[in-house]
Amino acid sequence: MDESREDKIIREVLLGDAQAFEVLVRKYQGPVYNLMLRNVGDVDTAADLAQEAFTRAYQRLETFKMGKRFFPWLYSLSLNVARDWLRKKGRDIHVFMENASVMVRDEDRPDTQAALNDRLDGGKAFELVMQLDQKYREALILRFRHDFTMQEIARALGITVSGAKMRVSRGLDMVRHQFKEVSDDR
Amino acid sequence: MTDEQKDRLLDETIIKGIRSMPEAKTPDGFSARVMAGLEPKRPSLWTRFRMWLIRPQSLTFRPLQVIPVATCAVALLALAFIQTNKPISEDIVSLSTVRFVMNDTSMEASNVSVIGSFNNWKAERSVMWYSKTAKAWILEAQLPPGDHEYLFLVNGETLVPDPRAQMTRDDGFGNKNSIMFVNGIDEQAL
Repeated sequence: MDESREDKIIREVLLGDAQAFEVLVRKYQGPVYNLMLRNVGDVDTAADLAQEAFTRAYQRLETFKMGKRFFPWLYSLSLNVARDWLRKKGRDIHVFMENASVMVRDEDRPDTQAALNDRLDGGKAFELVMQLDQKYREALILRFRHDFTMQEIARALGITVSGAKMRVSRGLDMVRHQFKEVSDDR
Repeated sequence: MTDEQKDRLLDETIIKGIRSMPEAKTPDGFSARVMAGLEPKRPSLWTRFRMWLIRPQSLTFRPLQVIPVATCAVALLALAFIQTNKPISEDIVSLSTVRFVMNDTSMEASNVSVIGSFNNWKAERSVMWYSKTAKAWILEAQLPPGDHEYLFLVNGETLVPDPRAQMTRDDGFGNKNSIMFVNGIDEQAL
């Protein structure tokens, strides 16, 4: 669905056609639900929060700037719903990870092509991404899974463009270091 | 493999892992559940006006409406084209007739030419003729606007500045060239 089609739907919704909104719900329910699931780890709560996100998006649709992409706006709003819930529950469920800056590379270990190929495990990389702090994890997912621009990431996460670049770069750095640690322990 | 290459390879793996990460299926009936909780909006006058302003607009034409408009557009384009090209044609027709005159009451010279910046200082291109009435060597030529340096070449060997020229310019070798100003209208050597 292109942006002009989305604009048309949003216009119809704003003019009173609530049912038109279902097209947007169906299109983005997957990413929003999974965002919630990553944050709360419980399917029922994730569904409730995803519903809350779409409801809030509907209620605030007047503030959406036509001509922009709808998904980054929705994602930003959904992220706030997740944060509100976590704050209310006093929970911080992200898996703590060591600070990458203090990790030491094992430079002495010889690294052959075969050994490296053995490490090339997309599934393992994904697991490590999921263990990252939310702010790094979401930046990586927005950038590489949803193809957000740095400006869109910045807007979605409520940070500056430099901050978005830093989070993507640092997130990659952390996963890379962790990947090496895990591989070396094998 | 260098560390840099290893890191690049790892980055590709990580990115690939993120791109292909599995996603949990949204619960059945999710969108219906969302929609059930939404009330249709009652747009304010302002919202209606804003939506009207930014609505996509389509224009329809009938052939009979298009033909006069297209004709006018073509005419305007043609006019613009003519106007754009006008300076070139003006350059061509803006040559001015100028008259070089070198007095020689007793016809001492056997031949005289005008050499200058306009004929690459070549005598054979601008040979003057003698007017017994005016008792002078005369040549009429057409030159473009601007200032032109020139000299008279007498008998094929002697360079003589025009004594009637009001301006001269040093040629860099200690000699003076006469200056002819052409401003677009017929004029005579000063």
